[in-house]
Amino acid sequence: MTTTPAITAEDLWQVFGPDPLTAFRRAQSDASSPEDIARVLDASGHIPAVRGVSFDVAPGELFVIMGLSGSGKSTVVRGLSRLLQPTSGAVRLYGEDILAASKSRMNALRRNKIGMVFQHFGLFPHMTVIDNVAYPLKVARVSQKERYARVRPVLEMLGLQGRDTAYPRELSGGQRQRVGIARSLAGDCSIWFLDEPFSALDPLIRRQLQDEFLTIRKRLNTTIVFITHDITEALKLADRIAIMRDGQIVQIGTPAEIVLNPVDDYVRDFARDVARGRHARVGSIMRNDLRDIPGDTPGLNPDMTLEDALAFCVERYDPVPVRDPAGQVLGHVYPHDLAKALQAEKA
Amino acid sequence: MTRRPGVLAAGLTALVGALCLLLQDTAPFLFAFPKTWTIPTTDWVGSVLETILGAIKPAMRWFSWLIAYPMDGLNAVLNGLPWPVLIGAVTALGWHLGGLRLALLGLAGFGFVLLSGYWSESMNTLALVAVSVPLAMIFGGTIGILANEAPRLRNPLLGVLDAMQTIPTFAYLTPLLLLFGFGPVVGLVASAIYAAPPMARNMLLGLERIDSEVKEAAIMSGATRAQQLFQVEIPTARHQIMVGVNQCLMAALSMVIIAAVIGGFDDIGWEVLLTMRKAQFGQALLAGLVIVLFAIVIDRLSAAMARDRKRFNSRISFVIFGIGLVAGAALYLTANTTPPTGLLGPVAEMVDEWLSRFTVVNATLMDDIKNTSMFYGLLPLRIGLDDAVLPFTWGFQWTKAMSLVLFGISALTCTALIWLGKPVVGLLFLIGMGLLETGITNLPWPFFLTAIGSLAWVASGRKLAILSVCLLVTILVSGLWERALLSLYLSGAAVLTCTAFGGVLGVVSANSTVVWRLLRPVCDLLQTIPLFVFLIPVLMFFQIGEFSAFLAICAYAIVPMIRYTRHGIVTTPPEMIEAATANGATTWQILRDIRLPYAAPSILLGLNQTILYAFAMLVIAALVGTTGLGQSIYLALGQADVGLGVSAGAAMAILAFIADRLVQSFAEDRRKALGL
Repeated sequence: MTTTPAITAEDLWQVFGPDPLTAFRRAQSDASSPEDIARVLDASGHIPAVRGVSFDVAPGELFVIMGLSGSGKSTVVRGLSRLLQPTSGAVRLYGEDILAASKSRMNALRRNKIGMVFQHFGLFPHMTVIDNVAYPLKVARVSQKERYARVRPVLEMLGLQGRDTAYPRELSGGQRQRVGIARSLAGDCSIWFLDEPFSALDPLIRRQLQDEFLTIRKRLNTTIVFITHDITEALKLADRIAIMRDGQIVQIGTPAEIVLNPVDDYVRDFARDVARGRHARVGSIMRNDLRDIPGDTPGLNPDMTLEDALAFCVERYDPVPVRDPAGQVLGHVYPHDLAKALQAEKA
Repeated sequence: MTRRPGVLAAGLTALVGALCLLLQDTAPFLFAFPKTWTIPTTDWVGSVLETILGAIKPAMRWFSWLIAYPMDGLNAVLNGLPWPVLIGAVTALGWHLGGLRLALLGLAGFGFVLLSGYWSESMNTLALVAVSVPLAMIFGGTIGILANEAPRLRNPLLGVLDAMQTIPTFAYLTPLLLLFGFGPVVGLVASAIYAAPPMARNMLLGLERIDSEVKEAAIMSGATRAQQLFQVEIPTARHQIMVGVNQCLMAALSMVIIAAVIGGFDDIGWEVLLTMRKAQFGQALLAGLVIVLFAIVIDRLSAAMARDRKRFNSRISFVIFGIGLVAGAALYLTANTTPPTGLLGPVAEMVDEWLSRFTVVNATLMDDIKNTSMFYGLLPLRIGLDDAVLPFTWGFQWTKAMSLVLFGISALTCTALIWLGKPVVGLLFLIGMGLLETGITNLPWPFFLTAIGSLAWVASGRKLAILSVCLLVTILVSGLWERALLSLYLSGAAVLTCTAFGGVLGVVSANSTVVWRLLRPVCDLLQTIPLFVFLIPVLMFFQIGEFSAFLAICAYAIVPMIRYTRHGIVTTPPEMIEAATANGATTWQILRDIRLPYAAPSILLGLNQTILYAFAMLVIAALVGTTGLGQSIYLALGQADVGLGVSAGAAMAILAFIADRLVQSFAEDRRKALGL
């Protein structure tokens, strides 16, 4: 990659227990592979919650970490934000090693660069909506008048106008999370951590907030690490997905890669419940023969989902051309490929 | 719970008891621990403490001199303010916190204080409380924050708090007396010490209970540790902290009134003590009522502060306060500032007369009640059937043959029970009969040590068993053993009575809402009243003596038993009761088979509280005549004997500590067995 990644995690380890650091160093000298180190740590009564996790997130990318509960995904994001001090490894934000940053540097970063949203909102019960949202500015000693002026647009963006003097206990779950999101945006963050932000909401509100989240994201163009246990949510939002199990990353890839080429049964199990037709794109099953077959063309393009493509060629037996917006042939979809891709999930 | 250790422990205890009884004549030292074997620990403790106290005395005297300023100042202000101003302020606060109900409570409460003629004494008490509570809050709050910030300090600090609460109140009055000399400062410092632990505990609890995401949100907002603590964590924990403030206030008030026994300050506690000593019970009752009303007003107002309800219109509060101010100014201008004295005085005298007449007329009835309970209940428990059964009381003399018959029957019953597959019950029955025959104060010490050691072993394990026995041995060798057994007997009798009556009342009020509706305000009241006030009614009817002390302890200690029993039964999950009903169980069967077993951990916790309450009251009850450790502590206070006071206090704390850990462990076992 030519540009510096916005976030780099390098061989991140998070060990819990009576004396994590010593135990980890000893385990590291005894064993080499992450599995063996984890086994040694386990035997010494320590819990290796995150085991050698590495990844890069490009500026402006939406990176989703997905896994079941206990897979270590929330612990990873707490290491990235340094809510927990990782036992070993490095975290760099735009090249700056934040694990070595001083307390005051960390506070400055959190006030101006990093925003975080929590699963159960983490709102301050004794503060009004506007005071909650403006709290990152208050600790940075911005005057009350200025901080209210600065957070008003954020409140408006999240549809909280008119509710600014309400207390958290007077709000519904969806509104509370809007406050949580607004607070994380108050400091004009360029890096945004969201720890299962929509998991505690009911399905309708969840979908509504997901859509709004995508709109906000487009407008702000921040770099995002988004934690979820919901594969549908991950596929809907992500640029790239990292799937975690037992503290390790099993696979990193685009939604289509995860759905169509799962690396092992664990990932396949996740993908099984997903209607592939809705997430895989035409491009992923297209054959690259550039012959121009005469006759009518139903107008497939590579970004179409398989489900949509099926509607166009449901009565065809011949290969169907795929064209770019200018009408140039890019390749062909063979109906039996399409059928196979869609059937695979039933197997 | 496992069965085998139970059999082993009970068997061992019974065996040691039987051996002691057999060797009674050949080895009398098994019963009365020989004086020559004791070590003069009380003297050692005394001289060590006196050296330490002497060293820090100058600093403390300086502190005493310093603290006298705010106290005298507040005293002058409260006494100098025309009374309508204060009543107006309390009523206005009541309105602000709880509307009409609390406003009326404040008005009625302080109005009664005014009419009672004890206004200036009450203001002196209020001044003491008003200075000691902020001290306790700062002290306790700091401890709580410290325990939260430094996890390594948490457990040691909690241990210190435990000790501060279990050591009887009178016990630390003695060293304080030496440090500060006679005067109100002793009461002030004592109440600050006594009231700090609830504040510290609630502060710690509140801080620890904060949702971890709220703390993380504060960190991620870029707050420094101080900003996190003071802007987010303490405000978030405010409800729990206000509960602490409420408990702190009540403890301080209770202690200020107890501290009156050392005198030197013209407060309302002193007034109660004085009138009680002069046997003017009408007046004592009046002064006692003033204390009770004080306690109720302070409790309800501060409890309302802890709740997060909508506040009432502050304009009305201002109007009420304004009326008070105007009335006060009017009184001031007409130079009429002294509060009206003794409007209720004649009433008190009438009550007094009526009481004297009542006690004279019903003297035989009262004596009968007292003697019956003493001769057939308390005395056998204290000195055993063999000494308590005399021709003079029971109509016949207890003989050796009777003892043998009793033991024979017990042994047979025990064997039968073992044969039926209930060895623990059988052995416990045997031990119980032996106890009844011998009496608690005559128990041979090897038997007692074995019994407690075994109990601790069954309840928790080897660690607690060793610790308990070691602690008891320190009492044994310090020469306080007999007094400890006396204390144990009296509190034991009270705890037994409370368990029986409180348990039944708890079960009844769990099944009948009407009974609970009647009982609940009584329980609330009994828990609000400062310990000291319990002594007035029992003294009125039964004069000084063990029986009065017993009644006072019971009245105070029965409340937790009722509450916890009811709570345990009421909270049985409805689906369990529905399942039992669906299986065709009757109401009685459901109570016996489902609700009581489910409530067992809660009932055990109630028992635990009852025991601790009984110990706390035991020391206060020394004022109306008990023997044992309580009396020693009280005497030590009079003679400024630090060694005796602190040692006896420590012995009481040891007994309370062991009882607490034993019952807690059993409760924990039950909870685990039920998977709670």
